[in-house]
Amino acid sequence: MRFLLLLMAVTASAQVRDTDWLTYGLNLAGWRFSDLAQMTPANVKSLSLEWVFQTGVPGKHETTPLIKGDVMYLTGPENTAFALDLKTGRQIWKYSKPLPPGVSVCCGLVNRGFAMYGDTLYKVNLEATVVALDSKTGATIWETPMADPRKGYSGTVAPIIVKDKVVVGIAGAEFGTRGFVDAYDIKTGKRAWRFWTVPSPDEPGGNSWPNDKVAYQRGGGSTWITGTYDPGLNTIYWGTGNPGPDMNGDVRPGDNLYTCSLVALDADTGKLKWHFQYTPHDVHDWDATEDPVLIDVDRGGRKVKAVIMANRNGFYYVLDRTTGEFIEGKPYTEVSWAKGLDKRGRPILVSGQDPTPDGNKSCPGGGGGHNWQATAYHPLLNLYYFTSTDGCHTYYMTNQQFLEGAWYQGSTFSGEGLFPKGSIVALNPSTGDIKWRWQMVSPPSAGVLATAGGLVFSGDSFGYFFALDAKTGKPLWNRNLGATVIAPPVTYARGGRQFLVISAGTSVFTFALPKP
Amino acid sequence: MAAQNPFAGNAAEADAGRGLFRIMCGPCHGIKAQGGRGPDLTLGVYNAGNTDRDLYRVIASGVSGTEMPAYGSRIGDDNVWRLVTYIRSVANRREVPVTGDAAEGEKIYWGKGGCGNCHRIGQRGGVMGPDLTLVGRKRSIEYLRRALDKPNADLTPGFYTVTVVTKQGQKIQGVQRSFDNFTTQFVTADGKVHSYQRDDLQSSERSYTSLMPAYTSWSEAMLNDMVAYLASLRGEAGK
Repeated sequence: MRFLLLLMAVTASAQVRDTDWLTYGLNLAGWRFSDLAQMTPANVKSLSLEWVFQTGVPGKHETTPLIKGDVMYLTGPENTAFALDLKTGRQIWKYSKPLPPGVSVCCGLVNRGFAMYGDTLYKVNLEATVVALDSKTGATIWETPMADPRKGYSGTVAPIIVKDKVVVGIAGAEFGTRGFVDAYDIKTGKRAWRFWTVPSPDEPGGNSWPNDKVAYQRGGGSTWITGTYDPGLNTIYWGTGNPGPDMNGDVRPGDNLYTCSLVALDADTGKLKWHFQYTPHDVHDWDATEDPVLIDVDRGGRKVKAVIMANRNGFYYVLDRTTGEFIEGKPYTEVSWAKGLDKRGRPILVSGQDPTPDGNKSCPGGGGGHNWQATAYHPLLNLYYFTSTDGCHTYYMTNQQFLEGAWYQGSTFSGEGLFPKGSIVALNPSTGDIKWRWQMVSPPSAGVLATAGGLVFSGDSFGYFFALDAKTGKPLWNRNLGATVIAPPVTYARGGRQFLVISAGTSVFTFALPKP
Repeated sequence: MAAQNPFAGNAAEADAGRGLFRIMCGPCHGIKAQGGRGPDLTLGVYNAGNTDRDLYRVIASGVSGTEMPAYGSRIGDDNVWRLVTYIRSVANRREVPVTGDAAEGEKIYWGKGGCGNCHRIGQRGGVMGPDLTLVGRKRSIEYLRRALDKPNADLTPGFYTVTVVTKQGQKIQGVQRSFDNFTTQFVTADGKVHSYQRDDLQSSERSYTSLMPAYTSWSEAMLNDMVAYLASLRGEAGK
């Protein structure tokens, strides 16, 4: 028996090849699926702590760490970043750039991670710049401003590398800014192209805004979550945020393109190939900045190249990623603002759901059902996993004078007296049918990771890091890390062992099965 | 900055401040300043000091180490004072007169009211409900009055009701200390803390209600005496 166990251990070890994590979504299609299978439902209870690293930087840690060679590269809040020794978690270098005055952020001084090409790391800084760092030292190679932070622009997104360009988005749609997707030359930092997510009045789509010189300039459409890329179609897919001001639609009659939309951009030129607007004329702050995941779906025996999204507005969508055509859409949580979607995917509205001075209740709430937290697609089980806040808000509206650089939300929403719950949802990505739902007692906080071993990993606001059975949603293991988990877990392998990495509070934890 | 609030007590300026507040402050502090992500501003006491100048400083310069940003350079001096004036106008703790007898209220609290069985004041009393040592600083007169006959009108966050049934079929009910995705901890009337892995239970439920009885049978005089006593609990000497 002992011999047999030893043999099994050796075999398992031989099967686990070294595996990196090199880009935000693990692949450019945004799957966050690892083919590592050493951790399984049978052994996950044996996971134990390998090391902990404390960043010492207060604030929310939302980073997806990158793993390459012997090093882990992670970004922290307040313009910080770290390179850690993969074996021990000890710091190799720290990057820290003081925050200039005048930077305004809606939701914390956060950063969601690096992109990497060769020996160079790329990140955005809060003052709306893109910076290239030498991965050996953390020294700055170049830094390029994207926009003026005093106008309310900020940088929080993890970039992606597409051919010879670093592609990034911008935050700031709560401050009356105009969103864009940018591409910069990886060597020089020179801007290669920009796609404005809000057209000017004389451009296509410009007639979906008031015909004046100001509305589109404050039109929002920020791009604060990383997009995806299909090399075969040479197309970048990027979700856009709310229109500005968020909850006062009276000052911006029209559909307000291309806010709350998915835009498909030519990777070489940034030119728009197509767009799909999930929430025309949004007044509930339902950014479409959720992961746009690229998969092939089965539609009656026919394979369709699709882009899927669990949208903040409560519906799950399948689009043809070649044409932008709407294929399928279903609610995955309580939706009160729309009866459903028409044949082209446009919502069929319910009256009495818009914000008013005295407030109207609508579901989902202002943070939406699913928000930005990373999702995962398991190709072996054909299941798509994401978190959902299941509840409602009261939405208020206020007339508001625009002040450059100031909060421009057109009022607010309130959860007073409402107690939303949460869930992790697994659905069939071809149909939107829910396979299982793991109920949480309060809204979720973290992203998810799926593995070939048959596990889904995530965390929660109570500090638990946990594993669910990918097939059934049954909880199999948990460990409390003492602080809220927001970031998604990542996994990698070295020396025949699979490792898990998760940030909680201001610390980074690494777990593995005991050494054989 | 002006040495004093130029709009102090001016209702029109407070209303202008209200408009600004709903837009700029409401997202964190609640649409009526009742609190949310940021602190409740209707209590008349504030973490960063209680004078108009303290409030001005917080709004104009922000609070280092928190998500409270600096608004001074964005909205200008007058608008900061308008916000201060509005916040003062909703700090209504002193607006309702105290008519009861605090000494009588104290007797009821520790005697026939039974309040002390669940609520601690200083070193005395039970632990199931919220500690009331400083409740006079934290809550308005109206709030205190309403809490006595409508305890479900507004629950102190976290003090919800947890009901579990053990695998042996025993039902236990108490006030939440923690209720998360995997475990629960709650306190029963005897002061005992119970802790369970939720997997080890037949069922575990949380309801957003209070275990406190509604004192609807009390006379108006008893209620007023109790309010007077609670309002006097400000953590000062002898209380």
